[in-house]
Amino acid sequence: MGEVEKTFIGGLHEKLAEDKIIDESHLEPNFAKEIVKHGGKDVMTCLQCGNCTGVCPISLKIDYKTRSIIKFCQFGLKKFTLEMRWVCATCYRCYEYCPADINPAEVMIALRHMAIKEGVIPPFIKLAATNLVEYGQSVKPDSEIERVRRELDLEDMPSRTRGYAKVVREINLLVRSTGYDRLIGIESEVRG
Amino acid sequence: MPVLAWSDDVNSYESLGENGVGETAREVNSISSNPRIGVFICHCGSNIAGTVNPSKVREAAEKLPGVVTAKENKYTCSDLGQDEIISAIKQNGVERVVIAACSPRMHEPTFRNCVKQAGLNPYLLQMVNLREQCSWVHSREKDKATEKAIGLVRMGVAKAARLEPLEAREVPVEQSSLVIGGGVAGIQAALDLAEMGFKVYVVESEPSIGGRMAQLDKTFPTGDCAICILAPKMVELSRHPNITLLSYSEVEEIHGFIGNYNVKVRKKARYVDESKCVGCGVCADACPVKVDNKFDLGFGKRKAIYVPFPQAVPLKYTIDRENCIHFKTGKCGACVKACSNDAIDYEIVDDEIELKVGTIICATGFDIYVPKKRDVYRYWESRNVITGLELERLINASGPTGGNFIRPSDGKPPKRVAFIQCVGSRNRKLGSAYCSRVCCMYTIKNAQIIKEHQPDTDIAVYYNDIRAFGKGFEELYHRVREEYGIEFIRGRPAKLSENPETGSITIRAEETLLSKITEREFDLIVLATGLKPSEGSKRIGKVLPLSLSSDGFFQEAHPKLRPVDTAIDGIYLAGCAQGPKDIPDSVAQAKAAAASAAAIMAGKQVRIEPLTAIVDEELCVGCGLCVEMCPYGAPEVHESETGSKAKIVEALCHGCGTCVPACPQKAIAANQFTDEQITSEIASALGGVGRAAGKTKKDANRAEGA
Repeated sequence: MGEVEKTFIGGLHEKLAEDKIIDESHLEPNFAKEIVKHGGKDVMTCLQCGNCTGVCPISLKIDYKTRSIIKFCQFGLKKFTLEMRWVCATCYRCYEYCPADINPAEVMIALRHMAIKEGVIPPFIKLAATNLVEYGQSVKPDSEIERVRRELDLEDMPSRTRGYAKVVREINLLVRSTGYDRLIGIESEVRG
Repeated sequence: MPVLAWSDDVNSYESLGENGVGETAREVNSISSNPRIGVFICHCGSNIAGTVNPSKVREAAEKLPGVVTAKENKYTCSDLGQDEIISAIKQNGVERVVIAACSPRMHEPTFRNCVKQAGLNPYLLQMVNLREQCSWVHSREKDKATEKAIGLVRMGVAKAARLEPLEAREVPVEQSSLVIGGGVAGIQAALDLAEMGFKVYVVESEPSIGGRMAQLDKTFPTGDCAICILAPKMVELSRHPNITLLSYSEVEEIHGFIGNYNVKVRKKARYVDESKCVGCGVCADACPVKVDNKFDLGFGKRKAIYVPFPQAVPLKYTIDRENCIHFKTGKCGACVKACSNDAIDYEIVDDEIELKVGTIICATGFDIYVPKKRDVYRYWESRNVITGLELERLINASGPTGGNFIRPSDGKPPKRVAFIQCVGSRNRKLGSAYCSRVCCMYTIKNAQIIKEHQPDTDIAVYYNDIRAFGKGFEELYHRVREEYGIEFIRGRPAKLSENPETGSITIRAEETLLSKITEREFDLIVLATGLKPSEGSKRIGKVLPLSLSSDGFFQEAHPKLRPVDTAIDGIYLAGCAQGPKDIPDSVAQAKAAAASAAAIMAGKQVRIEPLTAIVDEELCVGCGLCVEMCPYGAPEVHESETGSKAKIVEALCHGCGTCVPACPQKAIAANQFTDEQITSEIASALGGVGRAAGKTKKDANRAEGA
């Protein structure tokens, strides 16, 4: 088991395809167009040269291949992109090197837009959004950060300064009026 | 509603107002000179008739003023269709012919000949485009397409009534040709033309002809030694009685038109008398200066007095002024003392030569893409990263290493060699978006040569796609994998890092067929660098207004049917000046260019279309605006008894019409596109609704003159 799909899709991540033979029902022919609609470039012009994989800093740590995700997008294998699309750090190195001028990083961002709209929201995104409305920044300021800042002789974090409450109020207003809170599912966290 | 038309009766314009233009458009139902018009509507099989209803068009055409006959044909361009036009002219006394068929680019010459055969002036023909501009674009709206077709025919008839007979002029053609560039394409074109009996001037900017091919080691796919097959042609060129070789020369100026080009060439000073130098090389032995040899791409050395390579043609030495001690300090003179023929003369100056030629072949070749500094391939940072052309010199028997395959950093033979494909090609960010067409094959060929030199070398080729499209190419690709065990890795390298101690380079890449990221170490990296337009092409671009395609190479007149012609008559392209190509394609194109040039020269005379601009001297004030606007340099301002006046050199004029609206005096008209002809078309397009512009004073003057 497993040989058929490996032959069918060159470079397919074994884990993703381990228990199923891919058939036509998995393919979404309009997937590439959908990506364009969400701000990505046309993945169909990708040459599959693998340059993006080679330059990707994530690939140094885990078995992650940018090129494979673009390949899934070309086939319309939406399901297989679901869990990998969150791995990208959007450092844009792939964009710097891509000879086909695809900009894989923005394809990842487009995939995330699509996932959020479908309600696929990983917990860490919700956490970052909650931090944003509570502290005005996506990382929660904790005592450890403050200790390091004091050691380095840096000023207090902006979120701890006076007058920053106004900024947080403005962020809350923006989040509510743009509907970002409903999209992410953090309505209860938004103040005012 | 009757169609508006204008009387050809000149006297009626005296009643026009001061402004002259369109003050009193009169409603006239007939045309005073009343030419008999025949309309021929072509079905073009189902191309037109499938959308437009030709019978309705014919019925409408029959009712138009001046139309005496209207016919339908399945194919008007066929013998049958043409016979019908001829008989209409001969029997029905048709004086103006309107053909409603395809684009004039397709069949206008055919129908001009047909009309001429029937004894009518060939310029009394008006084409109406019912195919490209009607049926093909409106195939879903048949009724509206028919309506539009009727409108187009009505316009054509209105214009036809005002067509004037024109005469084509013939000018003599100079029986000589200029070939710019002495690479393999230029050499072949020159030899072919010379063999046909035409005088040929070959201008080459380098001290020797031979071009890029002379730098190569072997050629793909057969493995012929490049210089061994090129050198005999170089020698033949230099000895041919019909060829004058102007090496170490630059084309400075080109003026004129097809059949009559005046060319100014600057022959750069070699500081060696070509008639005395025998190429013995004693001077170079005596010269104390050693510099990098450009021909060997910096690997080998040469003296300040040099020939670029042993087989150079002409075998005449040249002093490199920049590096010569005499030109720097006024001292030395070692070469003068050494030369037994007194050939060296520091006082020689550049020479201006004027040539008169009928045709020009532009074969200015290509340059190699040079990788950028600090890019991923480390070309500038690591000595053991070289380009494909540099490898050609390194494995060449007459190259700087004498054919010993060694790597630059330590002079040892590399055991592990990697080739990287598509460097500077197929890249929308860096270099060029096009495929350079030769890199796949030269890599495969060079990999094979290395294996033959040193069979224990491991060779890997990092590629995207292998394009082995030519005769014998795929077979060679197969052979190097099967017999020579060369490894092909599909993937574009992401990172190259050098080991500072060993000079070896590690390539990190995703091997996309395995979907694995690998890091592999090599002793030498060869970049398969692409081709780009040459510096020489850019210099010629300043002398000749040749158009460029988006890739920066010279643009051919038609990509399929006129592949060696340019937009300028009498100027042809050969070799890589037009786009990347291999040696067989360059030679084929050179032969084609020679044949095209010969076809013009063999005719002795060349016909110049009368569809040009003409100046009404009475209205012209000689302001010279037309001279500035014209892309072809056709108008000239000259002094006459009545002041300065513009004149159009007919042979240069393409009839593009740029000068017509530019003229503030409305003194210029374009033949067959006069204001009167165009406004009559517009008026009939509007179906006679509203007031259209009338005949201009210019038209009136012209009619008077005629």
